[in-house]
Amino acid sequence: MRYFVLILLPFLSLFLQSTIFSFLSIKGAIPNLVLIFVVFFALLNSNRNRSAAYGFLCGLLVDLYIGRFICMNALALGATAFFIGSFEGRVFKENLLVGTIAVAAGICLNNFFLFLLSLIYFNVFHFDVNLLSNILYQGLYNVLLAIPIYAWYYHSTKNGLLRSYREI
Amino acid sequence: MLKLIRNKYTWIVLSIIIISLTVMNLTSSARTDITVVEKVIRDSFTPLQKGVKEFRDGWGGFGTILAEKKSLQKQLDNLEEERQRLSLENQALREFQAEAKRLQNIVDFTNNNIETYDLKPARIIARSPENWYQDIFIDKGANHGIARGMPVINHNGLVGRVQSVSEKSAQISLITDREMAVGVVVQESRDTNGIVEGLGDANTLRMINIPYYSLIVEGNVVVTSGLSQTYPPGIDIGIVDYIDREPSGLLLSATVRPVVNFDKLEEVLIITDYRPIDHDDLEGAI
Repeated sequence: MRYFVLILLPFLSLFLQSTIFSFLSIKGAIPNLVLIFVVFFALLNSNRNRSAAYGFLCGLLVDLYIGRFICMNALALGATAFFIGSFEGRVFKENLLVGTIAVAAGICLNNFFLFLLSLIYFNVFHFDVNLLSNILYQGLYNVLLAIPIYAWYYHSTKNGLLRSYREI
Repeated sequence: MLKLIRNKYTWIVLSIIIISLTVMNLTSSARTDITVVEKVIRDSFTPLQKGVKEFRDGWGGFGTILAEKKSLQKQLDNLEEERQRLSLENQALREFQAEAKRLQNIVDFTNNNIETYDLKPARIIARSPENWYQDIFIDKGANHGIARGMPVINHNGLVGRVQSVSEKSAQISLITDREMAVGVVVQESRDTNGIVEGLGDANTLRMINIPYYSLIVEGNVVVTSGLSQTYPPGIDIGIVDYIDREPSGLLLSATVRPVVNFDKLEEVLIITDYRPIDHDDLEGAI
């Protein structure tokens, strides 16, 4: 069941991002639910290597849906999950603030990696105010959503659908 | 260091990164078609996205759940259709008016404007799940005669271009996307060419490569030049908001406000075929 939910989550996130949340954008920015779930997986479920693999696969799904620069999101999300996963076991996961800070850090890291990868393929990349404000609004939106999602994810990891069999 | 080189995981990770970068390169915008896996993923989302869209539309009309709802809705749809048709006609008429001024004495061809395009209407069912791209997804695909590269408009002006197509849906790159560039001309002066490119923001475009001696002023309307194979000439793009001199001093750039409200876009028209105006015929009419 745990694996089924872990596979379902990125699909559901992508679906929500492209439909409901695209109509509920804040200043043109939509939340990155896939990133949120990857960050929480890295923080709560697994070590950094497995987190990186999960992040890579989730990113690959996003890439295949978008159909441009396939593997760009995969690499960025994989690397982000690897870094966030490094803190697994070193933080007080019970604290809601940890989840929100992790998401904020995840957004910064993910956009940083995307920016680096973009530099490889774009001759000139306009890192302008629009992009910066978009990242800022996206960050705020994600952090706001991260609070209830983290509460649910944490509960599920401990006692619910996402509970690992090793912990039983 | 030696330990790191001997570690098989290092090689696995390196291989994944190299393969990923190669795939990234192969799947840049220049691709002619998307893979089967992408088509399957996209088409698996399409029915769900359509469902959400229909649910949303239904919920939107919930307030009018009175006895006459159906007839009122039908009337409203007809009026909206008529309004869009007239607006499109008006846009084309303005373009022809400018052309008529320039060539003088040319008459009797403004009525042909609508016949210039073969249009396929489509509804937007989803938007890009990523903030980095300005894409939309429509409910018409290869099964409906949509192909990659077709220009997309609405009654206000140019929306974008078909980026990729699956059987039941298609991905449209909006002109506000960072990767988009459209050859344009200023409708009023006609001697000002440039390129309009997206900034990744729904409300702003940038026009570049404008010669410094151009007669461009704020408030000018920017339309497609028709110099490229993709976009027919004369489609409205935006209004010049602000003009700036490039650091080199030889070129100008301008901020252009798009005429299409990309945040509220719900339906689009895909130009499936375009018959350019035969200028030889026009000259004969002078």
